[in-house]
Amino acid sequence: MAREIKTGEIVALKKIRMDNEREGFPITAIREIKILKKLHHENVIKLKEIVTSPGAEKDEQGRPGKYIGVLYGNKYKGGIYMVFEYMDHDLTGLADRPGMRFSVAQIKCYMRQLLTGLHYCHVNQVLHRDIKGSNLLIDNEGNLKLADFGLARSFSNDHNGNLTNRVITLWYRPPELLLGTTKYGPAVDMWSVGCIFAELLHGKPIFPGKDEPEQLNKIFDICGAPEESNWPGVSKIPWYNNFKPTRQLKRRLREVYKHFDRHALELLDRMLTLDPSQRISAKDALDAEYFWTDPLPCDPKSLPKYESSHEFQTKKKRQQQRQHEETAKRQKLQHQQQHNRLPPIQQTGQGHSQMRPGPNQQPMHNSQPPVAAGPSHHYAKPRPSGGPSRYPQSGNPVASGGYSHANRGQGGGGGGGYGGSGAYPPQGRGAPPYGSSGGPSGGPRGGVGGYGVGAPNYPQGGGQYGSSGTGRGNRNQQYGWQQ
Amino acid sequence: MAANFWTSSHYKQLLDQEEVDVVHQLDREKGITLEDFKLIKMHMANYIGKLAHNVKVRQRVVATAVAYMRRVYTKYVLLRPGVGRKMFWKSMTEYDPRVLAPTCLYLASKAEESTVQARLLVFYTRKIYTDEKYRYEIKDILEMEMKILEALNYYLVVFHPYRALSQLLPDAGMNDATQICWGLVNDTYRMDLILIHPPHFIALACIYVASVLKDKENTAWFEELHVDMNVVKNIAMEILDFYDSHKMISEERINAAMNKLPFRP
Repeated sequence: MAREIKTGEIVALKKIRMDNEREGFPITAIREIKILKKLHHENVIKLKEIVTSPGAEKDEQGRPGKYIGVLYGNKYKGGIYMVFEYMDHDLTGLADRPGMRFSVAQIKCYMRQLLTGLHYCHVNQVLHRDIKGSNLLIDNEGNLKLADFGLARSFSNDHNGNLTNRVITLWYRPPELLLGTTKYGPAVDMWSVGCIFAELLHGKPIFPGKDEPEQLNKIFDICGAPEESNWPGVSKIPWYNNFKPTRQLKRRLREVYKHFDRHALELLDRMLTLDPSQRISAKDALDAEYFWTDPLPCDPKSLPKYESSHEFQTKKKRQQQRQHEETAKRQKLQHQQQHNRLPPIQQTGQGHSQMRPGPNQQPMHNSQPPVAAGPSHHYAKPRPSGGPSRYPQSGNPVASGGYSHANRGQGGGGGGGYGGSGAYPPQGRGAPPYGSSGGPSGGPRGGVGGYGVGAPNYPQGGGQYGSSGTGRGNRNQQYGWQQ
Repeated sequence: MAANFWTSSHYKQLLDQEEVDVVHQLDREKGITLEDFKLIKMHMANYIGKLAHNVKVRQRVVATAVAYMRRVYTKYVLLRPGVGRKMFWKSMTEYDPRVLAPTCLYLASKAEESTVQARLLVFYTRKIYTDEKYRYEIKDILEMEMKILEALNYYLVVFHPYRALSQLLPDAGMNDATQICWGLVNDTYRMDLILIHPPHFIALACIYVASVLKDKENTAWFEELHVDMNVVKNIAMEILDFYDSHKMISEERINAAMNKLPFRP
């Protein structure tokens, strides 16, 4: 996060990672920029501009540049940043707040905005490919915006190229991708939307698989097993035979969630349809009865504003605690590394680390200098390739309660915190793993080079903004970028 | 690429011919005239084309690369309400076209999803031009790439006449003129048309020229389109003028213009 000096406006920054780039400016960043520059919609995050920080050679002392908060030190020599409008929350962070209960009208309001934004993307031939709660940002006006187009891709109906199936965070990944298809379309995003919808209604993720096989099993358990009868052509998908369930599984979605509102269940059923060609589109979903029956989706502006300085105080304490725990965890992880299995894909270094504001992990002081370093530099040491696995094996000491708690919401981080011992409240959870394919992050910050979350320098605001993230941004993950 | 040209940065950035035909102060100081400026850009467009032929990329990549190259040397003013204005305009003196041109191809190949490795460009440039002034290394490309990205303000999407062409030709019953029209469109990139006119107008102008060349009566079809035929005819005239003047362009004149550029240390 940073503040534009001229306008005083708060913005969010995302660094474009340039290290380890043999072929110059990363093509993944080019895709993301092209896509963001062409999307202009109230439910899609706005890329304000791209700035280059002059780097250390120009300014050793770290004099503030255009944006206060960008680190002008050795670490970010010549760094390139995407500048985004600032958003106060993300959906997961908001939902994770202790005691948080969304009203029906509120859920409808968020779902409608999500679908409207996604419909816009699909009309403009963009697949988001990483729809999940932490990528849905929400401001204090109740507006929801799709963010993080780092995995997004343009698609065209006439061009039938193969796309990678290693996209979308595991818990939100549709069955066709898990079964290895490389030809897919907007329906992949709709599955993710279905997962989020169910999560909002259910109170927690419905398919929290720890690896691909388990993910499929969880899906089949609820949605039934795919067969030619309910999904024509499924048997020709590459890995169908590897993952085919051994026994008959009936679809029992409507049974399991029978306590949901009738229209909600109706819509959910159509989103979580196994066969992508029969899955509901964003456009049709917006026409669903659900959005047109009482209680109607509320006006975003009528939603409560969640941020308050009082809450920040408690959060700050929690963050400090977390930091201590993480230090301990990191030490453990270092011993741990060699025991963990390597991910199938190594981090390619093309990804860019997220710069969205997250909870500052260092204890914050209002007196911090204007261009204080983001906390990230602690973790910015080169990641050992094939760093700690995201999924601790069972019995792994790392997954102990305290650690899980520390990792709660620290997404992208090392060993997953879920699967823990229940030492934290039921709704607390770690970030969903980005499949076993995603390059695991080296440190708890979800990425080397991580956040340049500069501590805000304006006295009273010290915490108000810096605090912000109820889990915001800290679920960011590094991906093995492909295609 | 982007679904709607009319909301694109490309559309918003269209300029008048007079705005494009301005030589940067630094270049004028080197004695570069407007004519030299145009010649060098044309020469660079040809260079990009040759290089692309060697590394085998689609025509679309060439078109995007040429558009990038032309944009960098053209003055654009960005207005940011409440913040001020920012100018994007680079001189050939600062940004040597002999490095910029291949780098534009390099960047365009990424933007158009047909990536070319930098080392291949270095290799083929040495094959095409033995003159040491054209020599550069991989690191020069990577460095120039960043400069170009900034000079373009990261606007990387360019619309081209090709798509419109492939939709319009069958409609006009002119499928037999596909080759000639395609060639005409390719040649428009030796001019600045892509900075000045919406791509479908360029496509229409090429169809118009082709109709004249092939003696095909198309008046009714053009009328039904309800487009401003004056614009189409003006572009067509420009294309024909270009072909006329092109006959007079000699190697020596290009070299004379290129020699005014300072040689990189």
